[in-house]
Amino acid sequence: MRTCRDLGISTVAVFSDVDREALHVRLADEAYPIGGASPADSYLRIDRIVEVAQRSGADAVHPGYGFLAENAAFAQAVADAELVFVGPPAAVQRALGSKTEARRIAERVGVPVAAGTAEPVQDEVEVRHAAERIGYPVLLKPAAGGGGKGMRVVRSPSELPGAWRGATGEARTAFGDAGLLVERFIEHGRHVEMQLMADEHGGVVWLGERDCSVQRRHQKLIEETPGPSVGAELRERLGDAAVRIARAAGYRSAGTCEFLVAPDGSFIFLEVNTRLQVEHPVTEAVTGLDLVALQLRIAAGEPLPFRQGEIAPLGAAIECRITAEDAFRGFLPAGGRVDVVRLPAGPGIRVDSALEPGIWVPNEYDPLLAKLIAFGEDRAQALARMRRALAETVITGLPTTLPFHARVLAEPEFVAGRYDTAYVERAWPIRDPEIGDGAATAVAIALVLAERARGERARPRPAQASAWTAVAREAALRELPEPRERVR
Amino acid sequence: MRYEVEVAGRRMRVETSAEGRLAVDDRVVAYDARPLAGTRHWSVVVEGGAHEVVLLAGDPPRALVDGVTVTVAVSDERTLAARRDRGRTVAGRHELRAPMPGLLKAVHVAVGDVVDAGAPIATLEAMKMENELRAPARGKVQRLGPAPGTKVESGSLIAVLVDEPA
Repeated sequence: MRTCRDLGISTVAVFSDVDREALHVRLADEAYPIGGASPADSYLRIDRIVEVAQRSGADAVHPGYGFLAENAAFAQAVADAELVFVGPPAAVQRALGSKTEARRIAERVGVPVAAGTAEPVQDEVEVRHAAERIGYPVLLKPAAGGGGKGMRVVRSPSELPGAWRGATGEARTAFGDAGLLVERFIEHGRHVEMQLMADEHGGVVWLGERDCSVQRRHQKLIEETPGPSVGAELRERLGDAAVRIARAAGYRSAGTCEFLVAPDGSFIFLEVNTRLQVEHPVTEAVTGLDLVALQLRIAAGEPLPFRQGEIAPLGAAIECRITAEDAFRGFLPAGGRVDVVRLPAGPGIRVDSALEPGIWVPNEYDPLLAKLIAFGEDRAQALARMRRALAETVITGLPTTLPFHARVLAEPEFVAGRYDTAYVERAWPIRDPEIGDGAATAVAIALVLAERARGERARPRPAQASAWTAVAREAALRELPEPRERVR
Repeated sequence: MRYEVEVAGRRMRVETSAEGRLAVDDRVVAYDARPLAGTRHWSVVVEGGAHEVVLLAGDPPRALVDGVTVTVAVSDERTLAARRDRGRTVAGRHELRAPMPGLLKAVHVAVGDVVDAGAPIATLEAMKMENELRAPARGKVQRLGPAPGTKVESGSLIAVLVDEPA
């Protein structure tokens, strides 16, 4: 939407009942309601969205990076309504959106893929057979989707029933299709993805990689470029593989080719995300490009304005996703009313956010609140700026992943660039960092003054149940290996 | 008034006296504390050091100080006295409650079932993710909350387990 403003293009927003007051509605030139809070009643309603596009006289539809962004039926419906879809054509989405077909394309152009089922598996018995054939650990993933939703690692047969139930359920909710693929799971792999941009005249370029290995339950938390483990030679090989797949698929617009890189530098192709991604700003930071603007130019039929050799990424960039999840309670999502908000600024910092004091964060949607992006001349400077930005950020009213990011950015293994997709599981929770005597005294003073104020407001009330027992309990919980599904 | 405070594992005894002064572990400290938003967000200048403190609700409560999140606790002397008198919860009974609002997608057990600790009891969908709610301890299912398909609030009772010997 901001890019459109820059280019003098008017924007039309759609919103569900609970998003009437959301920032995107207020920033748009026009806004139309499309139904109830549940995504199935609004943001997944292709018919209503296309109808709004026609009614408003829009020329093109940008699908964003959630909901229908990778839905071929949506791209088709937009095209059928004689509107321009800002993204790859439906046929390309259909081919790459089906993981089986994407695998076939990769194999055809000589890009390595993981051992696994070629076709979606529909019932638990079949999954069990496939897992036994491939060998544990295996990864279950929705045949239809992306973004980590519905993915489960299964390390032993006993974990299979729960994982099957969760994965099929999530696949059905998120993508309307319960079919799953079973794949060999590579331990200590790093999730490295390559940004692609393709025009309709056969021009395809890669714009550099992002390491997105800091993830939890396959949801990315931190992304950075260049990847700390990616040298010039590996970058070249990944870029080349991504371009070959894109060419073979007849790709158009922005896309991302995801790879799993083993510790020895070998890699396998995972999938193509046929859309712009949440983490695209890190690539924008080092290339100086506006990827959305490029998407719009390509959608308008223009050729790419540069060649591969003209792209010279500069420096390093990192993104922290601030979500409404309680990092201390197994990353439980927790919507609510935002109270105080102070976002960071200053050299090398970009903030993409819809946060404002007093806004309501609904439980119905993805818990992403803000993206903090730090850019520097090298990784050390980017990390230093991110640490400063995180320390400046204040969000109260609901739990967020801020403490998680602050601790990871100070954790020696992460700072050294030594992490893989199991990093969060292994390293979190990271201990409370040391604070100075002055800071500790300041906290004590604030606590006592707040406690005294509360006591004065509610004198006859029985004592607040807080404090000492809770501290002991938290110490005990820290010992637990996997607290994510713990409940009160 | 006397308080016991814990900040990032450090215990302190704090005694308030005149405005702008208090004793921390019997040492008198001069401070200037300004509330910025209610009583949760503070600017505290103490002995020349400038600190920003945000008190975060939660269990356990935490505080954000100069960008670092630490576990905290505070009790005044009355609370400490009251706590000594308070009883424990009923032994042998375990309540499973919804940790967040969401849609109860499925319940995997029936009343009378005996389940092990960690066994999936129900599936709760919230924020597009399915979360398995697991048994907090081994036990027999004594009671179940709402039926699948019901929207539940944070804290809604999902199941009650009673101890069942192995």
